[in-house]
Amino acid sequence: MSRRRREPEPPPFQPGEWLQGTGPERDIAICTRVRLARNLLGFHFSPCLSPAEAQELVRFVTEKLGEPGFPEPLGVVDLATTDELERTVLVERHLISRDLAASKLARSVAVNTSESIAIMINEEDHLRAQVFASGMQTQAAWARAEALDDALTQRLPLACSEEFGFLTACPTNTGTGLRLSVMLHLPGLVWAEQIDKATNTAQKIHLAVRGLHGEGSRALGDFYQVSNQVTLGRSEQQILGDVSLAVSRIVQWEREVRDALLRGSARVRTLDRIHRALGTLERAQILSSEEALNCLSALRLGIEQRVVDGFDIQDLNKALLLSQPGHLQRFTKTRLEPEERDQRRAVLLRETLGCAP
Amino acid sequence: MHYCSACHKAIATVVVLDLTAGAVSGQQQLCAACAEQLGVVQTKAQIKLSSEILEDLLGGLKGKPTAAARRRDAGCAGCGTTLQDFKTRGRVGCPRCYDTFRNELLPLLQRVHEAQSHRGRLPGRRPEQTAGPTTAAGSGAGAGAVPGAGSAGMLSELRRKLEEAIRGERYEEAARLRDELRTAEAGEAGSRP
Repeated sequence: MSRRRREPEPPPFQPGEWLQGTGPERDIAICTRVRLARNLLGFHFSPCLSPAEAQELVRFVTEKLGEPGFPEPLGVVDLATTDELERTVLVERHLISRDLAASKLARSVAVNTSESIAIMINEEDHLRAQVFASGMQTQAAWARAEALDDALTQRLPLACSEEFGFLTACPTNTGTGLRLSVMLHLPGLVWAEQIDKATNTAQKIHLAVRGLHGEGSRALGDFYQVSNQVTLGRSEQQILGDVSLAVSRIVQWEREVRDALLRGSARVRTLDRIHRALGTLERAQILSSEEALNCLSALRLGIEQRVVDGFDIQDLNKALLLSQPGHLQRFTKTRLEPEERDQRRAVLLRETLGCAP
Repeated sequence: MHYCSACHKAIATVVVLDLTAGAVSGQQQLCAACAEQLGVVQTKAQIKLSSEILEDLLGGLKGKPTAAARRRDAGCAGCGTTLQDFKTRGRVGCPRCYDTFRNELLPLLQRVHEAQSHRGRLPGRRPEQTAGPTTAAGSGAGAGAVPGAGSAGMLSELRRKLEEAIRGERYEEAARLRDELRTAEAGEAGSRP
């Protein structure tokens, strides 16, 4: 029951910064993200923000971001006039949150062309400025975020106090307003059933572990985001240190587990699992988003551990994006019912991975 | 075995002795029901469930806002957010709320961040140089940390301990836990990350 719609040409479906597949520890650390929560003086915080105020805030911020001299040229997407599919695509590209996509208020996102910066306007806080850096690059991402924050500070009256730092709608974000997260691909820990142990350990040192799309989302495709919980009472550099240290330990743990999974009697079972996933990707006629993500996870493990060859990690990243409902429909320029999507996904993944039988 | 001297039906289980000048001057043998009806024995006090004692202890927490709380509940001057709004939403409505609800915020911040004041950058100011090590996977895991405890988890843990203390008749400990619980509940609403 597809309804064809006339839509502008889709952008070249290249992954944005978060899925570049480059950077330090890239076999496990997919992307580093810095997110700063900022609010403006003169406007109520989100729980009390009226629709008129929300509109005025978007206008005001957009104007300021567009002023000459802003260090990062940004294009502003008005989410109130963007259709749902486009918003889903933005969520899948990690540029906006699901909450922002679903909000009823006036709201926007300001993005640069490489998609390494995305400032959400009228999320839970007036501004949620995000900087993405491929792989594990906490210091580089922070340096860029700091410069961006300086630019925001110079142009916008931000709500802050000596005592509580940057004031946020939810007190759990106040202080630095900084959430530093690293997206990790951890199939080894999942397969070896050590992921809960890793997650619990991280939580004990006050780090949050979340799924692919952040808070409340499941760990689809064995992707986990590790981030700081504490934003008050620790400086930005301390937070960077906390997260970096924990993440590098998890990365090391994942490497050790991967090696163990490919040694001795475990090896054949691991290879079997990887090749079964590959078989599914090559032959399946109906592929749900979840199954696709799981198969791609196994294939990624195989490629990174060099037990499968003939695949490019960039193609895999493209496949990862295209297997998600928004991208799939956007790419095929067709609104699809879920079942049609699953059929289309099977075909599209084969094409993208170059493994058409 | 004697029958009850009042109803003459049931077996007497209670002996009531009449004392005159220290000496037994007479006696009655009653069954439990008649003894109770006649008021010669006191009905055994209903054993309170520890959860009821808990409620007694917590009585002050619920429903009796202090004068200060009532003032705050007139709402934040900046946005009209009341204490109840704040507790329900877990979000504040404007920068002034941080002053209005300071008393509620401080224990909440302490619980979530194990800190009550900012150490990072501010507009026009770089973060203070901190003496502590910046590495520290263990830095957040100081003594007394409740790993992974959400607010609900922590509150129920406190309630459980309180109930245990009451059951064990350790009332000093119970009072201390009650106060802790009161502080924790004061910031109950805003604990979601």
